[in-house]
Order: sequence, then structure tokens, then C-alpha cells
Amino acid sequence: MQIAEGVQLVTFGILSVLMLGAALGVVLFANIVYSAFLLGGVFISMAGIYILLNADFVSAAQILVYVGAVNVLILFAIMLVNKREDFKPLKNNWIRQGTTALVCAGLFTLLSTVSLVTPWAISTTTIPLASSIVPLAKHFFTDFLLPFELASILLLMSMVGAIILARRDFLPDSVGTSTPDSLTLPERPRELVGK
Amino acid sequence: MLKFLKQVIDYGKETAQAAKYIGQGLAVTFDHMQRRPVTVQYPYEKLIPSERFRGRIHFEFDKCISCEVCVRVCPINLPVVDYEFDKASKKKKLNSYSIDFGVCIFCGNCVEYCPTNCLSMTEEYELSTFDRHELNYDSVALGRLPTKVTDDPMVTALRTMAYLPKGVMSPRDLPAGAQRANSNE
Amino acid sequence: MNSGIDLQGTFIQSLSDLGISAELAKVLWMPFPMLLMIIGATVGVLVNVWLERKISAAVQQRIGPEFAGPLGVLQPVADGLKLVFKEDITPANADPYLFTIGPILVVMPVFISYLIVPFGQNLVITNVNTGVFLWIAFSSVVPIGLLMSGYASNNKYSLIGGLRAAAQSISYEIPLALSVLAIVLMSNSLSTIDIVEQQSGYGILSWNVWRQPVGFVIFWISALAECERLPFDLPEAEEELVAGYQTEYSGMKFALFYIASYVNLVLSALLVAILYLGGWSSPIPIEVLSNLIGVDPATSWVQVVDASLGIGMTVLKAYFLVFLAIITRWTVPRVRIDQLLNLGWKFLLPIALANLLITAALKLAFPTAFGG
Repeated sequence: MQIAEGVQLVTFGILSVLMLGAALGVVLFANIVYSAFLLGGVFISMAGIYILLNADFVSAAQILVYVGAVNVLILFAIMLVNKREDFKPLKNNWIRQGTTALVCAGLFTLLSTVSLVTPWAISTTTIPLASSIVPLAKHFFTDFLLPFELASILLLMSMVGAIILARRDFLPDSVGTSTPDSLTLPERPRELVGK
Repeated sequence: MLKFLKQVIDYGKETAQAAKYIGQGLAVTFDHMQRRPVTVQYPYEKLIPSERFRGRIHFEFDKCISCEVCVRVCPINLPVVDYEFDKASKKKKLNSYSIDFGVCIFCGNCVEYCPTNCLSMTEEYELSTFDRHELNYDSVALGRLPTKVTDDPMVTALRTMAYLPKGVMSPRDLPAGAQRANSNE
Repeated sequence: MNSGIDLQGTFIQSLSDLGISAELAKVLWMPFPMLLMIIGATVGVLVNVWLERKISAAVQQRIGPEFAGPLGVLQPVADGLKLVFKEDITPANADPYLFTIGPILVVMPVFISYLIVPFGQNLVITNVNTGVFLWIAFSSVVPIGLLMSGYASNNKYSLIGGLRAAAQSISYEIPLALSVLAIVLMSNSLSTIDIVEQQSGYGILSWNVWRQPVGFVIFWISALAECERLPFDLPEAEEELVAGYQTEYSGMKFALFYIASYVNLVLSALLVAILYLGGWSSPIPIEVLSNLIGVDPATSWVQVVDASLGIGMTVLKAYFLVFLAIITRWTVPRVRIDQLLNLGWKFLLPIALANLLITAALKLAFPTAFGG
């Protein structure tokens, strides 16, 4: 099994580099559209790593749900709102960026220590599953029934909420008046470069 | 509850009706597949223009008396009539005449009003050029003998619908000497 | 059910007889199916383009392509060559990277989906367990590419086209997946091979289309919408959006969109054939025929005939559906965007859900007929 193992190693390397690079790109790009597209790249490389772990169904579900639905909706939201404006750079921006970097680095060290310290029960023998779908379904309907149902109820609630928000009829009393504050995002207005 | 049920039934009926109509449409489309093509394979086949077809304008230099009626009746005063007065014969002498077919709308007013019939309509309609200035025909170009579709050995000339015998739909493979419908009227 | 012809096994066997290790032989085998897939899909597109032009011409009482090759069969090749040699233009102020990646992202998942299309018992590139689910997952990547190219073109028509394409394919993916789920429920497997096997018992009578007529219609409508075929070609509606997300594209990048749409159409037709029309199985089972003429179904020449008949059957069924799609294109006018979304969310989705529930109930009630 030398060739197969080599292929696996190389694939793992490529996928990890892709995923980390794309993830860094998501955070560091100034253009929010690039970030959204790279997020799709992160999801796809994650699906590749799932395949390497013999979880073919989970990886296909990852592509379907995260790339096909979540990421597309994120892109939708960005493209319907994003006006491609250049903002004036904020004063003392380095303080914010430095704080963010510090917090992120702290979180990273915390998580990596946790993953290094935890005694993982790694089984060296790989069990070639005929199909991962049937065991998954069994888990869903026996020992993971409650979390599964709770998650579906949560999704239902959010869907109902979204529909109620979207159906809210707002008729401006007179044309020309500015929209009330309740309908705008609570965001500090930033100055444009041109002004 | 009954009202709701009725709504559901009506919706179902509408759906069935829509499906029926789409099926009928498909049948029509499918029926068209086995009909003969009605198109003319242009560079190899051409339709014969009708008698009153308004194509490129023909101009006869020697008949022209430089009266400029064509200019006056033209919606945009298009023909350019260049003449000088010959004092010896006390007549206008035409130097050149030109019509720009890139601007002409082929209304035929000039042909209609020309007192000496020096202007006439031809069957020519293939006027395209690579440069629009080439469409500005001078008296030589206007005086060229018009080509006829029926004279071209490379082209199969086809009659248009109104010139076919009664009941015949296809202009191809007509018997020789076939007369058009109502030709005796 | 016999195993039929195993090309991969024979190839590896003959190479290991030559003294090459089995593993290396497997590596050497790998490029063949990939090449075959790409070539097969491309030829499928060429045939499809030719059919589209000829059938459209016939419907409109024209002749269609005539001079490039006999009956104009080389016309799509000429079209392709023209597109290859056309100038590749990136508009000013467009985003050059996204503008290039967009069409690639649209083409790739469609070609990859050919992995799961079986043409016979062993004539499939990978018999993965996730099967049709993989296809649904991959086809959901396409809208990202469309959004990307719509955004990168720096053109409002492109952007609207891309957004419409994404909205359309998200909303029609759900009825599509639900009708596939009803099939999967009956065959107890996501694998396309198992789905065909389950319908191959009694020839034409055991095809899924008799057991899932509603699912068949829903799947076909959703597949047309996913492929952006008329009457659902709103993302590129000429009268409103010039050409939608393709507006700014030319040359090879445009050709990629063009190829992707036709590959997608062929793929959808193939999948309808596999899920509902019995895939490679012929209307009268080959075992019955060979027993009729008194030949053992396991003889080698019967096997060869069986395999070629399987390929022929799959392609024939798929192209029948393509024909149907082309006829539909010239029959039904384009719907409006609100009608499209209404049809998807308020009509197809509830009916697909009801279809799924009824299938589950019938499976419990009549396990023999609906897959126990």
C-alpha cells in the first residue's frame, strides 16, 4: 500500500495548505467578496479532508450544505448589499488590528494546547466501512435522537423568524422621508473617500 | 374546511389544465417537425422580386434634363444634380448625378415624378458594402444595367407565394409554364 | 444477475501477467476512465448541439446546419473552433481573477458528476456509495461560479443574471433532491448501480417511472430549471438581461459556459434515464431474449452484446429526453422570475414532499412492489 499511502499524504498536505491559506485569506482580505469566495474554498478543502477520513457522506453533505447553500446565501447577501465603496482608513486602526491578532493568537494557542494535551483514543487500524450512511442514520434515530430533533426545531424556529421578518409590511407614510432607525443596521456610519 | 377543499380541487384542476395545454403545444411543435422547410437557401436560391419591387434606382444620363424635380420630391433632398447652363444652346447641361443608397429609403417618389422617365426602379437589392461611402452611387454606377435573379446561372430563382399556381405551396419543381393563380384577371 | 464485463479487472490482470505489480497497474489504469469521461462528455455535447440546431430548425420549418459535413454534423466542431480562436476579452474594471475562475468553477463540477453515471454493470467510473447524492452536492457548487462571474464582470446585467441563476438553482435543488430521495427510499441505496439494478427485474414494467410518475415529472421540471433551459432560462433572458452572466464573456471563457450548460443537460437526461427509465436495462430483459433463442446468458458474445446494448440503451434514453427538452424549448414561453419561484416553492416543493411521504407509506404497505 505504498503508492496509496503516498497519495494520501500528498493529498492531505495539499488540502491542509489550501484550507489554511483560504482561511487566512477569508480573514485578511479587505474585499469582502473575496473573503466570501475563499470561504467556499475552505469548505471544499474541508470536504476533501472528510473524504480522506473515509466519511464520504459527510463530505458530500458538507459540499451540499455549506458550499451549495450557506456560502451561496452569504454571497447573495453581500452582492445585494455591497456597494463597492472605498472607506477612509480609521484613526489608530493598528490598535484594533493588533487586539484582534492578539485575541486570535491566544485562542489558537489555547485550542492547540487542548488538542495536544488531550489523550486522544486513536485507533491505528482503519475499518473500511461498506457504507457510512446506514450507521449515521442509526445514530440519528437512536442515541443522537434528541440533539437531532432539537437541531431541527432550532432550524424551524429560525425559518419562521426569517419569514416573519421578511413578511413585515412597511409602508412609508410619505415619500421622501428617511427610513426609520429600526430598519437600518446598527452600524456606525463610515466616511467615504470622496467626501 | 369545505372551502379549503374546494380551493385545493380548483388548484388541481388548474394544474391539470395547464398540463393539458402544454401537451397540446408539444403536439403542435411535434407536428411541425415533419413539415417541409419554408426557407429559401439564400446564396443558392433567390426569390424573384415582384413587378413593383423597389430596388436600386437606375438612372439614364442622356434622358435627364436636370429639372431637379427628383430633388424636390425626395423626402430628404437626396439626389445630387450637378449641371451648368450652356449658354450656346440655352439648355442645362448635366455634369454628374448621384444618389447615396446608404441614406435613400427607396420610397420611389423620384421615379414617380421624373418627367422624362430617366429614373426607374430595378430588382437589385444586394447593396451591401464594406464601406458606407461606396453606397454613394454616381451616374455611372446608377446607369449600370441591372442584374436579374433569373439570369444568374448559379442561382435557382424561386417564385414568391403570390406567383404560384392555385393550391401549390412550394416554389420548387414547378411544371414549366405554370401560371400564377388568378393570372387571367 | 451476472457481473458482466469487468474491463478494469482484465486490464490489471493482463498487466500483472506482464510482470508489473498490481498497484502500479491500477495507477496505470486510472487515466483511462478520466480521459474517457472527458471525451465522452465532450462528444455528448457536440452531438447535443447538433441535435439542438437540427431539431430547432425542423420545428421552425428550417433546414439548419447543412454544409459542414454530411447533414451538418461538423457544425458544432466548427462552432467550437471559432470560439477557441476568438479574442479573449476582459472588460475594463472587471475583476480579472474572479472573471477567469468563474467559468472554470461552472464547468468542473458538471464534468466531475459524470463519475457516477453508469452505462452498464461495470461500466461506471466509480461506484461510490453516495452516488446520486454526490451529483446533487456537486451541482450545488455551480451557482458559486455563476455568482462569481456575474460579480466579476462589473456589469449590472451580469450581476442580476448571476443572482437569478443562484436563486433558481437553490430553489429547484430542493424538489430535485426530494424526488431523488423517494427513489432512494425504494432502492435502499444512493448508488446509481443499485438504483438501476432494482428496476431491472421485469423489463419496461419494473422501471421507476411507473412507480414514481409524480417524482418523474418533478425531477424533469427541476432538472430543466437547474440546467437553465427554456422555459426556465431566466438567468440569460435575452430580452431583459442581454445574456445574463455571460454578457461580458467571449472566446474560450464563453465556450466554457456553453459547454457546461450542454454537459449539464446531457447529464440531467442521463440521470433521469438512470433514476426513472431503467438505466442500461433494455425494455425486454436480455436474459429473457437469450433464453428465447436458447443461448446461455453467460456466454461471452452475449455478454458483449449485453454491454453494448446497455451503453446504447442509456444513451438512447438520455437523448430521447434531450429531444423532449428541445421540443419543450420551442413550445413553452419563458416564465417570469416570480412565476418561476412560485412554481418551485409553492407547487413543486409541497408536491415533492407529499410524494416522498406517500412513497414511504407505500413502502411500508407494499414492501414487495416498493422495495422492502
